[in-house]
Amino acid sequence: MLSATHLRHTYGGRPVLTVERLTLERGSITALAGPNGSGKSTLLRVLAFLERPASGTITLDGVAVRSRGAYRRARRRVTLVEQVPYLFSASVLDNVVYGLRLRGLARPDAQARAGQALERVQSAGLARRHAWELSEGERQRVALARALALDPDVLLLDEPAGAVDRAAAAQLHRILREERARGAAVCFASHHLEDAYRWSDGILGLTDGHLGAVTPENLFRATLPEGSGSKVADVGPIKVVVVTDRSGPVTLAIPPHDVLVSHASLHSSARNEFVGPVVRISDHDGDMVTLTVDAGVDLAARITRSAMRELDIHVGTRVVLTVKALAVQVF
Amino acid sequence: MELLWDGLRRGIELILGGNPDVYEISALSLRVAVTSTLLACVVGVPLGFVVGTTRFWGRRAALTALNTLLAFPTVVVGVLIWGLLTRQGPLGGLGLLYTWWAIVIAEVILAVPIAAALTAAAVQGIDPRVRRTALTLGAGPLRTHLAVARAARFAILTAVVVSFGRVLAEVGAAMIVGGNIRHYTRTLTTAVALATSQGDFGLAMALGLILLALALTVNVLLQLFQGRGDA
Repeated sequence: MLSATHLRHTYGGRPVLTVERLTLERGSITALAGPNGSGKSTLLRVLAFLERPASGTITLDGVAVRSRGAYRRARRRVTLVEQVPYLFSASVLDNVVYGLRLRGLARPDAQARAGQALERVQSAGLARRHAWELSEGERQRVALARALALDPDVLLLDEPAGAVDRAAAAQLHRILREERARGAAVCFASHHLEDAYRWSDGILGLTDGHLGAVTPENLFRATLPEGSGSKVADVGPIKVVVVTDRSGPVTLAIPPHDVLVSHASLHSSARNEFVGPVVRISDHDGDMVTLTVDAGVDLAARITRSAMRELDIHVGTRVVLTVKALAVQVF
Repeated sequence: MELLWDGLRRGIELILGGNPDVYEISALSLRVAVTSTLLACVVGVPLGFVVGTTRFWGRRAALTALNTLLAFPTVVVGVLIWGLLTRQGPLGGLGLLYTWWAIVIAEVILAVPIAAALTAAAVQGIDPRVRRTALTLGAGPLRTHLAVARAARFAILTAVVVSFGRVLAEVGAAMIVGGNIRHYTRTLTTAVALATSQGDFGLAMALGLILLALALTVNVLLQLFQGRGDA
């Protein structure tokens, strides 16, 4: 549906975005994960045809979008809901009607459809209220309704769960699934790995404006038994000891910088030990490297370059990874 | 001090007594100010909007030029227009010198940079999300501009009011190109200057009070307008 290739974007000559390849498929939900400031919002604005990339190609249904006219037409099919949405100084209903009227709908039809969209986000009661009277969460819902009303082919959302509580988050998730079922390509940015992992069909990781095909590191699904305290989770062929009160299906995250790398088993208090060969070494900014170790599943460990030299680690070196049970995060 | 009080008293008497000269001068001043403001804003507001919202080669230079023109000395504009309109000048054939239209021309030239620079500042200060929101909801260029203009409407209105204030209070150019001719080109400001130089302090005060009252009326109207809108 929407794809981008060799995308480069700059602000005042400074590169802010480098995306070799990205595709948002029809009927799919893609999560864009990455820390704050990693370029998620910029990428979404470029994909929404609101900013022109310095170079690269964006295609919609296989056709490259280049000219001003093509951008204008593409914007009729792609809609972005910003992290802190702007509502026009008018009633909530008028805000939702706006895009529909631009598409030539008569006022009564537009109002009916706007009403339905507001109902979908459970905000029908807000229709007559003025945009300023709304709370932050209400504004986000209205902005979502305003986008949903347009039945966009591509729906882009920047941190949609930013200002919502758990119940609203569940409702948002349901709406994203409905949009996917309708055939829309949905893409949302989140700095929250749990949302990104649970809500999407695929995760793209963005770091310092670079899009990696890699999913966020050391993120696993597991089912935990009842009870509290120390538990063992089966993650594929390996077992991970965790400390949590959660039970049932969860997401486990092992922060790569909390993984100790050694040649031999450590006699320590740490409960988790994994053994395997280094299969990949990737560079980072500064003095850091990430080792990917095949311990049955791929595990990433972040260490300094000097530590790697001292331990004489190369691709193929067999290493032991040690992780405290308390370091394993459970979502 | 006594002179001031006497002048003030005589001024109020002149206004309340329905002095025909005072009303004629006020009416002309208002006509010149309204006409010049309208013309200046028709040119200046869209110009400021374009400079403030679009990116083009030389935009920074255009902004600098506008801001410099804000400080254009009014007598210099007066002299330039006089040179254009005088019988030997390139536009001398139009016979506009020493007519109220000559004053309007000078005031428009003085007010366009104000309307344009303040409008540019107004739209530059608008939240960039306004434009993005209109665009992502499918608005074309015209609708997007309208959304930005709507968000900036009170600041743009201020540009209009400041232009009006400048035109109403301006004396140097009006004196040079209008000539301060009784019944024809005598405006409130040129009349105040003349009355003061003739020692008719009461008349000067009366006209000064009217000037103030006009400015006050315009600002009260503006406030009413802002209050009714949803800011």
